[in-house]
Amino acid sequence: MINTNPTEKSLSIVKSAFREYYFKHSKNIEAPLRIEEREFGYMQFGSGMVRHIVFRNVGEILAVLVRDIPSDVYCSNAYYVFPSYPMQEKQWKGADLIFDIDSKDLCLSCEPTHSYFICINCGKISESKSEICLSCNTRRINRTSIPCNKCIHTLKKEVERLIDLLSGDLGIKEDAIQIYFSGNNGFHVHISDTEFHKLGSQARADIVGYLMGNSVMVESIGVRKGPEGFFIKFPKSGLAYGWRKRIACELGISQSSILKLSKMVQQKGGYDEFRTELIKTVRDLGVRIDPHVTIDIHRVFRMAGTLNSKSGLTKKRCHDLKSFDPLNDACLLGDKEIDMEIKARVKLRLKGQIFNLKKQNTRLPMYAAVYLICKGLASAN
Amino acid sequence: MYFYSSLGYLLWILSIKLGTGDLAKYPFLNEASNYIRDTHFDFEELNRPEIEHIIYRAAKKIDVEITKGIIYEELEKYEVEILTFLITLIMVKSIGLELVLKKHSLLEAIRAEKFLIEDLKREKNQQKRRLLLFKIFEDLFKFKVDIDSENHQLFKVKVTDYLERAVQFHEQEWKLINRLVHKGYVYLDADETVRLIRSELSTLIYNRVKSMTFSSLPKAIKSRVDELSIKFKPMYEVRRIYTTTDYPPCIKHALDVMAIGENLSHSGRVMLATYMLAIGKSVEEVSALFHKAPDYNEETTRYQVEHLAGSRGSRIKYSVPSCKKLLNENLCFATEKCNGIINPIQFGRNK
Repeated sequence: MINTNPTEKSLSIVKSAFREYYFKHSKNIEAPLRIEEREFGYMQFGSGMVRHIVFRNVGEILAVLVRDIPSDVYCSNAYYVFPSYPMQEKQWKGADLIFDIDSKDLCLSCEPTHSYFICINCGKISESKSEICLSCNTRRINRTSIPCNKCIHTLKKEVERLIDLLSGDLGIKEDAIQIYFSGNNGFHVHISDTEFHKLGSQARADIVGYLMGNSVMVESIGVRKGPEGFFIKFPKSGLAYGWRKRIACELGISQSSILKLSKMVQQKGGYDEFRTELIKTVRDLGVRIDPHVTIDIHRVFRMAGTLNSKSGLTKKRCHDLKSFDPLNDACLLGDKEIDMEIKARVKLRLKGQIFNLKKQNTRLPMYAAVYLICKGLASAN
Repeated sequence: MYFYSSLGYLLWILSIKLGTGDLAKYPFLNEASNYIRDTHFDFEELNRPEIEHIIYRAAKKIDVEITKGIIYEELEKYEVEILTFLITLIMVKSIGLELVLKKHSLLEAIRAEKFLIEDLKREKNQQKRRLLLFKIFEDLFKFKVDIDSENHQLFKVKVTDYLERAVQFHEQEWKLINRLVHKGYVYLDADETVRLIRSELSTLIYNRVKSMTFSSLPKAIKSRVDELSIKFKPMYEVRRIYTTTDYPPCIKHALDVMAIGENLSHSGRVMLATYMLAIGKSVEEVSALFHKAPDYNEETTRYQVEHLAGSRGSRIKYSVPSCKKLLNENLCFATEKCNGIINPIQFGRNK
């Protein structure tokens, strides 16, 4: 939802831009598979979430979009027998497997250079991290960020690493992997392979652990605790694939390197020290996804083709990740000029235009105006 | 990699058969049931004198399992094993104690597991190994297992099939990351592959007993059942009385919170309800515990407790959360008395 409390005029501009988008770009709305078995929900500007809704086709969704102009539209990853019933009575049938890669989880070094801290109480904006508002002393601070090219490049690299693991290790075919720009600072990776639909939360948590490189045991590469500290006995299934191969490459060992691995463990100081270091190495090699998103089998996700009220950008399918530019390809609002008051120094690239703004009154195209209102960094005059 | 067209695979399966030795080791197979049917075995025949030693054997098997908690190792010829299997099921059903049924089902599964591991490791005939995999994994549990083409001592299972089963195990070695995973398959040795179906085998035997119906018990079996019932009943009653009188600190804390009408988290409520149900409290008694909760609603509470008790929804009775899980959710208030337990339900049992 929009950062901080926008003025009535700003809200009206955003709503009007969203209305125009849903009228002009209705073809962008992607009907999810098995639509009638899904739960839908949406947020309205200035009010709460409406959930447990059922649509039978994309036409019914569009009717709501143009009638209610929701700020955000969601659809369940799960399939239910009774999707409109209260949660405990829906009767879960399965759920899409979805991964979320968000810049907040990547701990990027550039992040502080384009982050803003906005007081929800008085609207004061600070460019440096602060727990308390220096203007009104409240602790209600919202953080917002304008992704830079480096953020987008790193996010895309992380998506590629995720896809390598999904296809190489888990055997998911490329045509069963759909990549979406989330509409703000990340990517969603949807898996349409029905084999994975039946998996419960625990099984999904195990997949998450696998991808993130959590809970690795040194025994899986042959280092075992013994009466004299440790000994090496490689697993019967070998080191040829998956994480074992990745670790073996990292350490420069193979199934015949008993002495080499033994020396390596000794050099690190023994079993415990080697274990500690290996756990860290594997975590560093893992993919940085948001675990909660994948594990939750009753979650509602932003619907593809709808707008994200944190930015005014569209959640959009990336058919070619390499060439996809979210700040251009997902920026689909109009360019009618709007009088704006910019509340902080902002450098922004949208639709191929670079905006170097300082605190000032200026005219901006609709897409940039909405983006800055949603981020809480500008108001309509 | 082995590949069969579905028709070719079917023809191949039909062309080879299990031996009688296999039916002795795996009397739960459909072929063993067919054997009983084909011999026109009648329920009344259980009273015949030549069956007496099999009835004695079945009673001994159950006694060893329940009193010693170990599997019955002895393996007889197939006619004896198939009948022993059938008679133990009748006896366990007639004893009528849920915990006896669960223990027998589990130990029967572990027994078959032991034979299957040996067969998969020692059998040189690849067709025979594949047939066993097909008959036990695929035929009974729709779980496809293949032999690795490069290393015949390894078996490959689909990642999703693996995950569905391995999540029941708490040991870290079963986490996917500690397995050899490649192109959608997990590679396992015989012990690991067979371990994956223990729970399903146990459930298969449990369900066989549950679905049995017979109006009266043959006399020859009844006397053995009576002896076993007298022996087993006190064993399972003592435990129940003990656990209801001594609550673990996490449960005491939850009861204290509820007693003063303060809010207990959702996880805390699940813990309290599953614990109380596990020690034998009724749905009514458990629902009443929540009546002081700030958001108490009689109908909703009852509905949710019934769900946890397995009488609604998925029909699966929920287990009491582990101590590790409770610790993560800030619901653990362990004292010295907890003494290394891993689930609140074990509290006080080792005294």
